[in-house]
Order: sequence, then structure tokens, then C-alpha cells
Amino acid sequence: MKRLYLILFLLIFNIGFSQEYYVYVAAESDDQVSVLKFDGKEIQETDRVSVGVMPTENEGPHGITIDPNGKYWYLTLAHGSPNGSVVKYSTENNEPLSKVELGLFPATMQISKKTGLLYVVNFNLHGLMKTSTVSVVDPEYMVEISQIKTGIMPHGSRISSDGNFHYSVAMMSGELFEIDAVDLSVKRILSLDTNKHHRNAMHHSKIKPTWVTPSPSGKELYIAGNGSDNIYIVDTEKWEVKEVYKTGKGPYNIAVSPNGEKLIATLKNEGAVTIWSLKNRKQISRIKTSTSIPHGVVVSPDNKYAFVSVEGVGGESGKVDVINLEQLKLVASVEVGKQAGGIAFWKIAN
Amino acid sequence: MKNFTFKFILSALLFSSIYLNSQEFTVQSNLENLSIEVGEIFEPKTNILDKNGNKVECPNIIYYNKNGALNWDDGISVNRRRGTIKGEIPGQHKVIALCIGLSDGRLSRDFDVTVNYAKPKELQVNLSRETVYTGTYVPLQYKVVDAYGFTRFDADIQISSDNDLVEIDILNNVKAIRPGNAKLKIELDGVSTSLSFKIKETPISKLSINANLDVARTGDVVKFSTTAYDDKGKVVTDAPLSYSFSGESFDKSSTAAGLIKDDGRFVAETAGKYLITVTAGEKSISKPLVVYDRGIQREVITVGTGTVQDKHTSDFWVFEGQDGNDYAVSGTWGADGTTYFWDVTDPGNLKKIDSVQVDARTVNDVKVSSDGKISIISREGASNRRNGIVILDTTNPYDVKTLSEYTTNLTGGVHNLFIYEDHVYALSNGERFYVINIEDPTNPYEVGMFEIGEKGQAIHDVWIEDGIAYSSNWKHGVYMIDVGNGVAGGSPSNPVAMANYSYESGAHHATFPFKSKSTDKFYTVLGDEIFPQGIDVYTTNETAGFIHFVDFTDINNPEEVARYELPGHGSHNYWIEDDILYVAMYTGGVRIVDISGELMGDLFRQGREIGHINTANPNGYIPNAAMTWGAQLYKGYVFYSDHNGGIGSSKVLPTKPDNSRINEYLDRPRLID
Repeated sequence: MKRLYLILFLLIFNIGFSQEYYVYVAAESDDQVSVLKFDGKEIQETDRVSVGVMPTENEGPHGITIDPNGKYWYLTLAHGSPNGSVVKYSTENNEPLSKVELGLFPATMQISKKTGLLYVVNFNLHGLMKTSTVSVVDPEYMVEISQIKTGIMPHGSRISSDGNFHYSVAMMSGELFEIDAVDLSVKRILSLDTNKHHRNAMHHSKIKPTWVTPSPSGKELYIAGNGSDNIYIVDTEKWEVKEVYKTGKGPYNIAVSPNGEKLIATLKNEGAVTIWSLKNRKQISRIKTSTSIPHGVVVSPDNKYAFVSVEGVGGESGKVDVINLEQLKLVASVEVGKQAGGIAFWKIAN
Repeated sequence: MKNFTFKFILSALLFSSIYLNSQEFTVQSNLENLSIEVGEIFEPKTNILDKNGNKVECPNIIYYNKNGALNWDDGISVNRRRGTIKGEIPGQHKVIALCIGLSDGRLSRDFDVTVNYAKPKELQVNLSRETVYTGTYVPLQYKVVDAYGFTRFDADIQISSDNDLVEIDILNNVKAIRPGNAKLKIELDGVSTSLSFKIKETPISKLSINANLDVARTGDVVKFSTTAYDDKGKVVTDAPLSYSFSGESFDKSSTAAGLIKDDGRFVAETAGKYLITVTAGEKSISKPLVVYDRGIQREVITVGTGTVQDKHTSDFWVFEGQDGNDYAVSGTWGADGTTYFWDVTDPGNLKKIDSVQVDARTVNDVKVSSDGKISIISREGASNRRNGIVILDTTNPYDVKTLSEYTTNLTGGVHNLFIYEDHVYALSNGERFYVINIEDPTNPYEVGMFEIGEKGQAIHDVWIEDGIAYSSNWKHGVYMIDVGNGVAGGSPSNPVAMANYSYESGAHHATFPFKSKSTDKFYTVLGDEIFPQGIDVYTTNETAGFIHFVDFTDINNPEEVARYELPGHGSHNYWIEDDILYVAMYTGGVRIVDISGELMGDLFRQGREIGHINTANPNGYIPNAAMTWGAQLYKGYVFYSDHNGGIGSSKVLPTKPDNSRINEYLDRPRLID
């Protein structure tokens, strides 16, 4: 029996001290994706993958996500001729497998565990001010099976933890959209500027929402008001904004720890990350990033670390910063390609 | 321990149940072995059965074509609201029935669905020539239209005749043998038609052939003309003539090769003795032609190099400054938004004299106004994502100043631009171009916009000459747009499209208008951009594509007549002056090509290359790896930019290359002693 306890102790000890966290990050101005490994102390780049097909065109890898089974990663290329695309890669060797053309400037995306489908917002960041769509892709065959009309410049494509709903916000029309992931139709719309349940497509939002992410329980949605410097909390049952928090300049992306205790938001215009306790409803830390223009953020499944992509300016390398969510401090950083943006958590390995 | 074991077992069971859950359902549908007609609307009925064979309710079943529901396969369309599918194009298609929401994970099944080819409705058969003479092949033209109006190209037509006036071979060639009234029966899938025509005894008893040249060079288009006579010496005007050639190369390691057209134009690719033969039924006549090497190769020497060592280089422009000296501007790619200015007054000493850094990662294009006062650079990858253009004062290229930036409608990035008569034409997000007035360069403002208005429209480049903009639009080809010429009533604020030409590959990325001095013909010279194997930014890349010569002399009937294709190397930007093409062939360096005279066929194989420049730079960002971006002839020097090395200058000498090596093997130090 003592031997068994000893083995168990060693096993736990081993797990506790040799976990490796793997993250993918896209460098939008270098047409590259980096694979990063963090061992609890240092973060290093284990692979750098050139993406796209035209060396003399910037194809702009923007959004990145990992299949729930961890076997594939998906990357949106914002620019094409002129439509962008999503490309499927193997996590085993980071080789591209398939590609499908979507709309203008496809950006963030996520796969629903309920439907197995990939939901991608067509951001159309640089196009005319007109209603854009969410593309629904069958990732098995890489076929775009539907385009669902939403608002102007939709962004922040996130799925509820049960996989039943897709959420996005329209940056220019200031609307929150809830799509039924099963029947592929818009179920509810909330005008964030008026807090009313109606379309408000033809006005220019002052809030300029850039991100929405649901709480693990699905009861709340957290929205980054990039233009108003606020985070909005929406009650999903009442479908209304119930709380507004002043953050800092330019909240852009948001992640919530899987245990639902912490909210982490990048402050794009401030070069910082703000961390909030969702239990106490207050900011518990604000941490400067290692360079300017923080972009995306993901939290490890064990709630311990936040990985933040930071774009940098001009010829400066992008970076990925690691924040220890228990110590509330930046513990590691690594250089990646220019304009680091889309970031996705892959796995924890022992 | 018990708790651990319990959790382990629980986890294992949970995992197993999820796995089984996705395995325990089966999909049944009336899509199985389905055949439908074109236009037929079919309502799939699909059932989900559990492992006991009981039907279970699926929250949502959707159908789509495996080859692309929305993008590019129109074989089967899906009406999602009605839940129906419709046969659109005949062939084999695969339809997916996907059940969404019943269980976590994927529940779907593929079904092979056939959309039947329709029976032919109409067989159209005509003669392309009115008179059919004995001894000649009957010039038949077919068209098969099916019941849904589709033209069929796969049709296996059967042709027969009930008399012996004609002979029909296995490839359906019909030869007129004897005079008389012939009748052909043409059949396909139970539909038949007939064609009656009269076969006349051939009046042709003699042919004479002439040519505008008896001795030519490779690449020269020689025009053969033939006259047919009857036995009384009278000209037969409707003689069916067919040209062919044979030959022998002077070089025993090569073979005679060329191209001959139906109208008697012939161009040889290799030097040798050729025999051009024309036949008219049973009569034929030949004429010899001697072809020598074109002999236009010239020595090309490297004059100067301007190295950019720490980043990729993009486009460049050489110009005369206000002080009468010569300068160049070059952009950088995937870096820090730097643009370099060079003093190139001495082409052998290219001096970097100033630089401007803007908020961008790529300055893809740089252009300079005709008076040298204004330079405009494009931005991509700006950190604030506003991109646009930056207008620079280059009155003193040693001290370049920023005058203004302009981003309205250009936030998606400007890949290419052109300056013409106080306006800049700037591409926007690869979709359209905007016209911006820069009479006051500190206060630019938009006056017009042009887009081709096609689904999936995309633009890569714009070039302007004589008030005509040449817009390069990938799969939609080149558009000629009146932006002030007046021929179509256009102006900068009202661009008017006046002509268009596209080609199969869809890789059209740049255009240069070319008025041939030697023939007075007008061409649009269209370049491809293709990377067959994708990219690797750290080393050289495989490139492909070529230069298309489209005769636009008749603007309403453009005809692609020639190509310049360098095996193994793809095309990028180019310059044409005095009937000479200076083309950047990426990994193949700059190629200097004689495009004088009539152009027909494959110009590379015709020995039209005058010389080439290896632009690889041993001190470049990627050393010794040519990736030539562009070329420009300026005051007798060939300037170029190289993606991996910087800029450079070369000179084409009047002398022919001297490849002789006197006592090379005698004087060279012995490697092994």
C-alpha cells in the first residue's frame, strides 16, 4: 500500500511540475503562425508555419481555433481575391489539409461541440458599411453550408459552452446577435447602444463592440465596448445589459476562465490587460503588456494562465505574454511574427 | 483510492457513452441511389434510427453538396427554407445529409446523387464553307443542345451516308470522293438530323505559292499566300487550302519547330530548312524557307547594386529629380514600413540617400509624379488598420518630407497605385480603385471610384496611359477604362469601362499597354502571377505564369496571339520601350525580350531573348536568391528591384556575347597537380 501511495505521490508531483501548455498564435502581417510551449516558467516557439499561398501578397491570418478533439487547427486568411478563406491544418505536423473560400475578411471563429460545425464571422473590416454574415462551415469536408446575415462588421465569434448558441457583435452597428447553432438562424438581437431588442443596423455605434464571450454557465455574456471603454454584461435570460464596467482604453478581446471566476480583457489602446473577479465584480489587476497593442487572450483549461497576443507596431515583432492568474503577474513572454492576433489554446501535456 | 478508482471508471464510462452515442444512430434517406433530372426539385426525407431501429427526432437536418454548397459547384442547389434539392447540372454529385443537434459530435451520411444528362433536343450541323470539292474534307460544324438548353460537348455523334460519294473515317471526318448530291445522316441518342450538300468536281488543277520572305529569322512571321487555278488558268477563289510544314534543324541536337496558321502565316522557333506545303484536295505545292537564328543576343553587364540587407524589397521607380539628377525610390515588404530613396545619377554607384518610415508593414507600391516632385507610397499592415496612402515631397530626394496621408475608403490596404495628371489611382482592399485628386498634395480628396461590378470582383493593379486605365482583375482579366481620354466619355470622376479581355487561368495580375513601333499594332501585354507550391518566406519559391500578348488593335475583337513563357520561372512586373520587353521573371531574373515585328506563338522558343540579368545579390536579405520584382528602362540603363536583394542597374551593350575562351584549359591553374 505504501508503494502505491508513493507512486501516486510521484505521479501527482510529476503532473504538478512538468505540465506543458501549448498555444497557437497567428501573425497577421507576417503570414505566419507560431506554435508555442510554456512549461510554467518559460515560453518558447516550437514551430513557425508560413501560411497562405502568395508570397508577394499579405493574406492576413487573423482568427485561429482548435478542433475540440485537438487534431486540427483552423485559420482564417482575411484577404483573398477578394474573399478570404479558412484553412484546415493538422496539429500533428502543421501541414495544411483543406481550404474553403468564405466572405470578406473572415475573422474569428469557433467550433460547436453540439453540432461539430465551424462558425466564422465575415468581419468585412475594410468594406462598405453593409450587413455582413456568419459563415457556417462543415469542417469535415470544408464546405461552407450557410451564410447567416447579422450586422455591420461582425466580430467575436464565440459558442456557448453547451454548443447550442453562437454569439457575435457587430462593431459598427453595435448589435449583439445570438444564433441558434442547431437551426442556423438568428434568434435574438440586442442593440447595445439602446439596450433594446431590435435591429439597429443603420446607425454608427458609439460602443463599437469588438468581442463577446459567454460565461461557462451560459447565463451571462461579456462584451468589449472598444469605442466606449466599457465591458457590458448581458443577462442571457432577460436579453438585456445588466451591468456596465469601466475598464480602460479600448477593450478588445475577452476571455473568461473555465471556472467562471475571472474575466481577462485586452486593452488595445492602453497596452495592458485588465483582470476582473467575476465573483466580486471588480478589477483585481491591470498588467502592462510587453509591447503595445494587445489583441487576443485565451485561458488555460486549468484556470492558471492567460496567454495574450500583442501586435506591436511597424517592424516590431509581435509577442505572446503569459500571465499567471493566481499571482496576477506577467511571468513570461516570447517574440512571434508581426501583428500577433488570433490565439488559441491547444493542449496541456505532461 | 476508491474515490480515484470511482472517478476513473466514471470518466471511462462517460467517455464510452459519448462515443457510443455518436455511433448508435444511423441515417436513412430517400437520397440513396437517387437519380433526378435537370431542373427537378426533390424533397429528401431522412430518418435517424437508433440502434434498435426506432426512429428518433433530429432537431435539424440540412443538406448540401459535398463539392461546395455556396462557393463553386452549382451541380445541385439546396433550398434550405423548403428543405429541397434541385438538379442543376448533369453529372455525379454527392449530397450530405447532416443531422444537427441530436447528439454531440457528427451525425451525417453522404449520398451519391445522379443528375441525368438530358436527351439531345436539337442537332445542328452546318458547313463552314459553301462549296465542297472532290478530294477535300467536308467542313462540318456541330452543335448539340439538350432538352434543358445545355450545349453538350461530350456527345458521341454517329455520321452515316447512304451513298458512296463520301468516305467517313472513325473520327467522323467526311471526305468528298465523287461529285453529286450527298446527304449525311447525323444521329445521337435517338435524335437525328440530315445535311444535304452538293459535291462538285474539283476545278483545281494547279496551285502557286508565294511568301513575303524566302529567308527569315526565328520569330519572324512569314506570310504565305496561295492561288489556285483551274485547267484554263482561271483563279479558283473558294479553294479549300490547308497549310502544313516540315523541316530540319541546322543544329543536329535540335528539331525544326514552329507554328503555322490557317491563313498561311508561319513562324519558326529553331533555325533550319523548312518546307511549307499547302494542299487543296488532291493538289499540293510546297515552298522552301530558310530560317536563321534571330541573332539578337547582346551582352548585358551589371553596373550597380543597391543592397537592402535587412528586409524584403518590393516595387521601385526611377525618376529625374527637380535638380536634373536621377533618383529612385523603393518600397519594402513584410517589414517596418520603410521606403528608401536612392541617388542613381551614377548607375554604377547607387547611393541610399534618405528613408521614410510610416506605420505599415508593407510598402508594396511606390510611384513618382512626372515632374519628380511628389512620391506616393502605399500602406498595408498599419497598426491602426487604416492603411491608405502617404504623399511625400520629393523636391529634394535627399530630404524627403511627408505632406499628407489619405485613408478614406482605403483602410483595407493599398496594394498598388498609379499617378496620372494630378490624380492618384489607388486600389482598395483588392476590390476596386479610387481616384483621388492631388492637385494640392496636402489636401487630397476623392473624386471617383471604379469597380467591375462582378460577383467576386478582385483587382491587383492599375496602370494608366493616354487617359486609359488598364485594370488587372485576376479571373476577370484586363479592363480598359476611359479616365480622361474621352473615347468613351470617361473622366477621373466618371471612369467608363470600354473593353475587357480575360483568359482561362484567371491569374491576371498586371497590364502594360504596348503600341508596336514596328507594326503599329496595339497590344495589351498581360502578366500572370502564380505560386504553384504556395510560399516559404525564408527561401526561394517556385513561380509560374507567363506574359500574354493580346492584339487589341480592334478594341472590340481582341485576340491573344503570343506568349512569353520562361520555363521554370513565373512572371511579375515589366516594362516595354522601343519594342523591347524588360520583364521581371521572379526566380529567373530580368529577361530582355525582342518583341518587334508581328507577334505570334511562343516568343521564348523563337529565340527572341536579347539577354538576361541575374538579380541575385550575395549581400541581400536572402543572399544569392533571385526574386526579381520589377524592371524599368531609364536613360539607357535597365534598373530593377529584387525582393531578396534590393535594387540594381544593368546595361545592354551593343556587342554580342563573346563566349569564346582562349586557352582557358591551358592557362587555368590545375586543380589537381
